[in-house]
Amino acid sequence: MKTLTNSFSRRTVLKAGGAAATILAAPGLVRAQAPIVKIGLVQPITGAFAGDGDLARIGAEYAVKEINDAGGIKALGGAKIQLLIGDSRSNAEAGAQATEQLKTDGAVIVVGGFASGIAMTASQAAARYELPFIIDGAVSDGLMTRGLKSVFRFGPSFGASADVALKNLVAINDAAGKAAKTVAIVHEDGLLGSGLAKLMQQRLPPLGFQIVETISHPTPARDMSNVVLRLRSLNPDLIIPSMYFNEFVLLARTMQQQRVKPKGIYALFGGAASSYKFVSEFPDAAEGVMDVNHWGDPKNPTNAKLMEAVKATGKFYAYNTPINYSLIQIAAQAIEMAKSTESGALVEALAKNEFDSGVMPYGRTKFDATGQNVNALPLNTQVQGGDIKVVYPEQFAQSKPKFPANG
Amino acid sequence: MKKAELLCALAFLIVLGLLALVGLPGNILNLFIFMMIITLTAQGWNLLGGYGGLSSFGHAAFFGTGAYAMTVLQTSFGINAWVALVCGVALGALVGAFIGFLSFRAGLKGSYFALITLAFAEVLRILANSWDFTGGAAGMMIKLQNGFAYLQFSDRRYFFLILLVFVALALFLSRWLERSAFGAYLIALRENDQAAQALGVDIFRVKMQAITLSAGLTALAGCLYAQNFLFIDANVAYGSWISIEALFAAIVGGAGTLIGPLIGAVLLLGLGEVTKSFSGGIAGLDLVVFGIILVLCVAFAPNGIRGFFANLKRRRSAAAEAA
Repeated sequence: MKTLTNSFSRRTVLKAGGAAATILAAPGLVRAQAPIVKIGLVQPITGAFAGDGDLARIGAEYAVKEINDAGGIKALGGAKIQLLIGDSRSNAEAGAQATEQLKTDGAVIVVGGFASGIAMTASQAAARYELPFIIDGAVSDGLMTRGLKSVFRFGPSFGASADVALKNLVAINDAAGKAAKTVAIVHEDGLLGSGLAKLMQQRLPPLGFQIVETISHPTPARDMSNVVLRLRSLNPDLIIPSMYFNEFVLLARTMQQQRVKPKGIYALFGGAASSYKFVSEFPDAAEGVMDVNHWGDPKNPTNAKLMEAVKATGKFYAYNTPINYSLIQIAAQAIEMAKSTESGALVEALAKNEFDSGVMPYGRTKFDATGQNVNALPLNTQVQGGDIKVVYPEQFAQSKPKFPANG
Repeated sequence: MKKAELLCALAFLIVLGLLALVGLPGNILNLFIFMMIITLTAQGWNLLGGYGGLSSFGHAAFFGTGAYAMTVLQTSFGINAWVALVCGVALGALVGAFIGFLSFRAGLKGSYFALITLAFAEVLRILANSWDFTGGAAGMMIKLQNGFAYLQFSDRRYFFLILLVFVALALFLSRWLERSAFGAYLIALRENDQAAQALGVDIFRVKMQAITLSAGLTALAGCLYAQNFLFIDANVAYGSWISIEALFAAIVGGAGTLIGPLIGAVLLLGLGEVTKSFSGGIAGLDLVVFGIILVLCVAFAPNGIRGFFANLKRRRSAAAEAA
């Protein structure tokens, strides 16, 4: 009895001592080797958004390999890039902690963020050290109004994306002889959905669309029957959904079951409508759905290679891969231009120069005074023949929009 | 024994403070800051759930109210951060009193009380998610302004030291509670509320006082959370995660004990970080290891870590006596 007690206690002490020593020693473990430039990637590797984080990681790793194979950072004597991954665990405070960890581990620049709430705290943590942070596809307008000099955003803001979405909708509808006149908005009641619903309610009527109903639902939603029954009785020409993947799948499948066939489904950051997973699992429900979202330039040959790389891992391509691939490319260009890994020099290089946008359809990336990429642009995609095609704007289009989709 | 515990806890806080002053890497400092915020939340929970036996699943209601009050008062009304902090604590306490009044007047206890607190937190989350003045689903940001008056510091060690002071004050509050008549009434109603009532304890009044105090302390943690991360939304402030963290830290550390919440928060969050560094890049492995260790912890220490050590000591002295 006595022996047992003693051994347990010793083990407990060892465990606690080992744990404490690791906490204190961990920051020092990952230094030494040179010449290496460390770039941090903050993504949700675990938690609710783990799938997105994984796709982002694939893109970033692809870019790192490409740059290193081509001789590394030439301005620093061919220094190789080492990618450090910070897991934001799909929540805001872990995002800040991941950034702190990356800084401690020696990252000279950090990219990523994914969701607006995570990007908010993660970039804030980086800004404390004036460590340059480039946000990927997190869209909240508030991210770039904080006056943080070392924070930049590669992708378009929500406001800018909504402008593009509406302009393109009008163009597509006009080309179809104003086929759609009535609109129903179906949205989740969180950040994504309620923000979009409010904006659409203000902006659609002046463009000649009549909003027949705005229907909200919680996330997660288990059943969409009532929503679809309502849609059936309203019979709108166009449905504008704004929700996450699972809910959209549920909505689209329920609409298919109840044979609700509007002239079009037009989403902004709909997720599912730009998701190969959705297209592959529910091809009939997905057919014809349009989305305005971040998307890789289909005419860029590297984009096809990224698609292959994702496919090889047994996953489905989504925008996270090209956008994070491109972010690493921009970070590498900034280091080349700054000829230094010093934070101040990197922030200055990012603020003053133009960059090649990798595989994103942004032309040349140029950050304005707030840190926003002025040339960032979402693309219109549509599910056509079981594949996702870019249908608008024309310079990136792989095929023409099919609208009305059920016409 | 209790005094020694208090002194140990205070010495631990002083060591943390000194470590911070000597210089800690940013990630460790950030972890310690978060640990102390969770400690405060768990200390708040412990006043009601630990000492009073009124387990709440909805301390997010108080945490979120503090966080939102702190943010809204500063950003929308331009009120000084310290004044906002006081108002946040008062509002949190008020929400606690309101929920307590409705629940205790109806005689709710046990799982019914736990569920009603959970429901209130959910209602507040949905409201905060929809109202414009709480920023709706987009959440709210506190403007970055460094200075003592703004309770924001370019050197975050100052913020950490302030947090340590608050945790120390909460320890004194718990110590006072353990020694006061009010604390004795609270523990009495935890053990057997009908017997306590028969002995003349006004159990409604004691429960009301306990929930108000508990809510105020948890709201303080919410205020400091908002001030540290400078961003909140409905899911962060009123999400069930914080209710779980609060009761988890207190229960694993030792519910109804002075230092239980501190031990629980430090061990749980410390363990999370340690397992993360051992995961070797395999996504989620750290969470699996964390879960296994937690299961073992709960299996071998059903009365919390504090209870485990107390048991060990008792068994040793019994063995020594026998020898």
